[in-house]
Parts: sequence; C-alpha cells; structure tokens
Amino acid sequence: MATSFTVQRSTSGDITILALNGFLDAHTAPEFEKVIQEEFDAGRVRLIAECGELTYISSAGLGVFMSFIEDIRAAGGDLKICNLTPKVAQVFEILGFNSIFDMVPTVADAETCFAGPAREV
Amino acid sequence: MTSPPVPQTSSGLGPSRLESLLESARLLNSTLDLDALLGHLLRTVMGRYLIGRGVVAIRNGEISTVQVSRGVAALKKDAAFTIEAAHAAGLDLLFDIGSEGEHVGTLALGRPGRGPLDPEETDFVRALTGLAASVIANALSHGQSVRLNSELDQKVQELRALLDLVRGLAATLDPDEIARILLLTFAGRWAVTRCGVAAWKEGQPALLRQRGLKLATLETQRESIGALADASVLTDAQAEAFGLPAGSLLMPLRSSGGTCGAVVCGPRLSGLAYTENDLEFGAGLVAQAAVAFDNAWHFRETIGKKQLEKELALAASIQIDLFPKKLATLHATDVAARNRQAKQVGGDYYDVIHVAASTPTQEHLVCVVDISGKGIFASLLMSNIQATLRALVFRENNLEVVARTANDLLYATTPSNRYATALLLIYEAATGACRWINCGHTDGIIVRADGSVEMLPCTGIALGLFPARTYEEAAFQLRDGDLLAIYSDGVTDAQNNAEEDFGTDRLVEVLTRHAALPSTEVVDRVFDAIDAFAGDAPQFDDITMLILKRGPSA
Repeated sequence: MATSFTVQRSTSGDITILALNGFLDAHTAPEFEKVIQEEFDAGRVRLIAECGELTYISSAGLGVFMSFIEDIRAAGGDLKICNLTPKVAQVFEILGFNSIFDMVPTVADAETCFAGPAREV
Repeated sequence: MTSPPVPQTSSGLGPSRLESLLESARLLNSTLDLDALLGHLLRTVMGRYLIGRGVVAIRNGEISTVQVSRGVAALKKDAAFTIEAAHAAGLDLLFDIGSEGEHVGTLALGRPGRGPLDPEETDFVRALTGLAASVIANALSHGQSVRLNSELDQKVQELRALLDLVRGLAATLDPDEIARILLLTFAGRWAVTRCGVAAWKEGQPALLRQRGLKLATLETQRESIGALADASVLTDAQAEAFGLPAGSLLMPLRSSGGTCGAVVCGPRLSGLAYTENDLEFGAGLVAQAAVAFDNAWHFRETIGKKQLEKELALAASIQIDLFPKKLATLHATDVAARNRQAKQVGGDYYDVIHVAASTPTQEHLVCVVDISGKGIFASLLMSNIQATLRALVFRENNLEVVARTANDLLYATTPSNRYATALLLIYEAATGACRWINCGHTDGIIVRADGSVEMLPCTGIALGLFPARTYEEAAFQLRDGDLLAIYSDGVTDAQNNAEEDFGTDRLVEVLTRHAALPSTEVVDRVFDAIDAFAGDAPQFDDITMLILKRGPSA
C-alpha cells in the first residue's frame, strides 16, 4: 500500500514532541506504536502528538492512542494532542476523543497543559 | 446616502415600522441559531411595546415547549407550553407563528406598557411573526440537518473503519496480525483501552491477544458464547460467569465450523454506553475478522500439508539414495535384492558391504534391516544405521562386536521407542562360510540344493532398545546350489482381503519351487506370489527381499 507515515521526535525539557506526518492507519500504526513504546520504555511519559501534517487517521490509528493512554497516565504522564487539521479533528471529535484527551491548538498550548492539574481518566 | 421618503403603504404600516421589519428581516436571515432568532423576536416586540414578560414556544407535533423565556418564572425554557399555562402566567396576548397549516409556534406576551395594542400595532407583530415563521422553520430543519449530518459522519467513519480493516485483513494471512488490527480498530473506534480476542482452531495454536482483560478461560465456555447474539453487552451475571468486567461487549467469532472464538471490548473510557448502532458495527467487523481468521488458518494448514509432502519427498529421496545402486559382485555367488515401500517413506534397508577389516580375505556384510516407524525419522535412522554399519565393518570383522556396538550407538542416539531389527550376516565368498546374528528380525531361510530347508531364527534383541546387550554369533556353510533368503516382515505379514498372512510356509514354498532360477528372478517370483496372494488388499508394510545363491554357474 502506498501510504506513508513518519514520526519525528524532538524534546522540550522532559516533554517529547512527536510530529506525525502522513497516513496513520492499520498499516502504519505499528510505526507509531513502536515510537510511543520506546519513549515509554525510556521513562519519557510526557508526550505531545503534533498533528499539523497528519493527513488521515483511521480507527486503528486512533487505537494506538487508546492502547497507551492508561499506561502513560499510570506512570504519571499524559499524551496531549495538538494542531489537528479540521478534517482529522473531526474524526477525533466524532469518536469522542475530546472527552478523553486534551486537544489544543499549538505545541505551546500543550506544554501549558502539562503545567496544569493531571487529567483523570 | 440619505434614505428616500418611504410612502405610506396599503398594509397600513408606517415607515418606522417598515424599517424595523427590514432590520428584523436582515437579522433573522443572518443566523440559523434558533435561540438567537427567537431572542431577537422577543426583544423587538417587548422593546417596542414596553412589555415586561414574554415567551416563545415551539411546536413539535402535538406538544409545544418553551424555547425562549423572558421575565416569566413559571414558564422557563423547555417547560411544556399550553394556552392555559400562558394565561396562568399572565401572558394574555398570544400570536400564532406560522400559517394555519404550518403552525410552528406561539408568541405569548404580557400586558403592553402603553395599554392594549391598536390594530396597526397588532398588524406589525403579525408581520414580524410571519417573517419569523419561515426563518424558524429553516432553523429547525437546519438543526435537524446538523443532527443527521453528525449521524452521517458517524456512519462514514464506520465505513472508513470497516474499509480500513478489510484492507488490512486482506493484506495478511497471519492470525496474530489479524487480531492486532482488529483490536486496534476497536480501541480507536470506541475509545476503549481494555480489549482482547481469543480464537481457537483444531490443529492450530490457540490465539490470545488481550490488554487489560483475561480471555484464556473463555475456550471452556464455547457453548455459552455461541449461544449469545452477534454482539451483546454482558449483564452483570454473564460478566461474572465469563470473568469479564461488567458492561463489557462480547462478540462471538463464528466460522463455518461453529464458534471459534470471541472478541471482547471492556467498558468505554468515556463512560458512554454501547449503542445499537455500535453493536451492529462491531458484529459486522467481527464477521469480517472471522472470515480472515478462517482464511489464515486454512492457508496455514495447506502450507503445513505442502511442507509435510515436501519433507516426505525429501526423506524418500534420501532413503532411495541409501540403497546400494548396484550390489557388489561376489565370487561364485549370485545376489539380488528388491525393496518396495508401502508408503512414500518406509523403514526397510538392505545392503551388501565389503568388510575392509577382513582384507585380504574377501568378506562381505549382507544385511536386511527393518526400522521402526516411518517418515523422515525412519529415513534419518536408516542413514544413521547405514553409517554405523559401514564404519564398524571398516575396522571390525567380529560380528558380535559389530552388533553390540551398533546397539549401543543406536541406543545412545535415538529415543528409546526407536529401534531396528536386523539380520546381519558375514559372507566369505571364497569359501561360502557364513557367520550371522539375528537381532529380533524375521527368520532367514536356507534352501539347500537337496531341497531341505533350514531357518536362521532370532538370536538377540532388536538394535537400539536396551543398552549393553550381548549378541551370540552362529555359523553355517553355504554350498553350491544352496539359496539364502533374508527378508523383512513385510513379506510374511502381507495380508489378503480375508486378513490371512502370506506366512513363512508360502514363502518357503515359492523359494523351493523357483530355487533353480537366477536370484533376480527368484526375487521377482516372490513379489509375484505376494501380489497374487494379497489381491487388492492394501499393504501397510515395506517389503524387502534379498536372495543370495551359491554355485559354479553364478
């Protein structure tokens, strides 16, 4: 399948920013899972998914977010989502992700979220 | 630009009122937000006629409910609206919104501050409500469209998920990968963190993939799972029986062969309940996955069979290579042998090996070996025995030592249920002297030139069964015109349709009758006799026949 997906990692203090690019679906989900798992294993549990270049997300792609969120929060971290394009944001909202995840406009907003009180599942 | 003078109209509405209508029309048309629309309507009328209280009720079928309320404590938003209730709340001035046929609501007002409205003022309110009617109808249908759109979005998302899943499933024939994609899709679709799939198929390893749930014991409850609907939210009692969290959604995996597993999603993280729509969607997804699992299993089985066939073909070719291409030419001796395998890979082996250790005397080890079991293992054991015997007679011509060492080596290198029977015979072609040991094998047969028959019965235990056994060597002399037959039990155990054995007597009879023929032909006659006896009864054992004849003509 000619879908491509990449994750670029950068850090800001103890926060890891994952810039998602391309199609996140059943085929590319393992790539994203791998990256989150690596961060988690390295004890880095404050994550921001920067989705400005994320052009498509399927249910399986969203499944990756769900697969890790409990472990991440149990470890005292969180996964914030920011800079969604309207099309992708709509998918998150239709499926009710806004009630579970902090979804904010920019990376800076997301970093501010981490300063605030921890979110309860 | 100055406004041109507005002439008095025939409707009896003055310019200021027309201006107000125009402003209202513009405002009303600029938004589809119902509350904003009605708020404007109320404000305009209440402001213009100094009215302190008013509500707008919207009609929905036979029932009207208050949509906007100003200054009326008794009729708040969402309260049921009736004319009686309006009067009770001091709202005596009622205007229908919309025409008789399309009555969309009611504007109910308290007492105007300047006294009852005159006909002209009433006309104005009517004009305003008339204007509002179509806009309200638009706003209502817009609200409905938004709802429908959101439902449509959900459906589109469902279809996308289904398409994505089907695409993913089509690309894999690995059951674990199918389970992974399926669970990811559910986790994302329903925002669940706890979900799992268990699937079982005879002859395949049980598949279990779970996160936050324990599904390992579900296999013992196959029947109760099979009795469930295609997707159902478990009652507390069911959840407890299955050892799952209350409120879990269970979807049985059904294949052509019945219930083959279950997919379970725990309660949703958002606290939302699973809807009918969700159940339908889930059942659809799981049905797709069931087909994919079936395909993957079937594919594995086919691959497994192909692999087995390949192995058997390989084993057969190894085995065929182990038989001597051409038997050694012996002085004054005519030797021939033939093997027929019952299945692709059998367990018989024969050989005539030069005994290097006995040089310069020309001795040969003549043997028929019957290995327990069949298939690749028998084939490997056969090559093991061949190598052992060849290595041993390279430096040893004491047959007792050969048998004892072969036994110990086989015992050490094979499981205890693997063994081989063998008739080992060392033949000195120059003189016809024979030394032999029968290790649990069928009797060898000597047909003497005078027609008398002697047997070479079992003298020791089969090779590889027990460690440290000793074997006893016996000897005889083969003279001109004598025939020696060594064979596997496939010869004497060959059965006909009446389940009778070919037996030693028949074999001796055939050998005696054809003893004058060359060895190759004697072998052929024995096979002919067996085939004639067995008819079309299937043969389960390998048949091996070795004939050694001594004579000046040989």
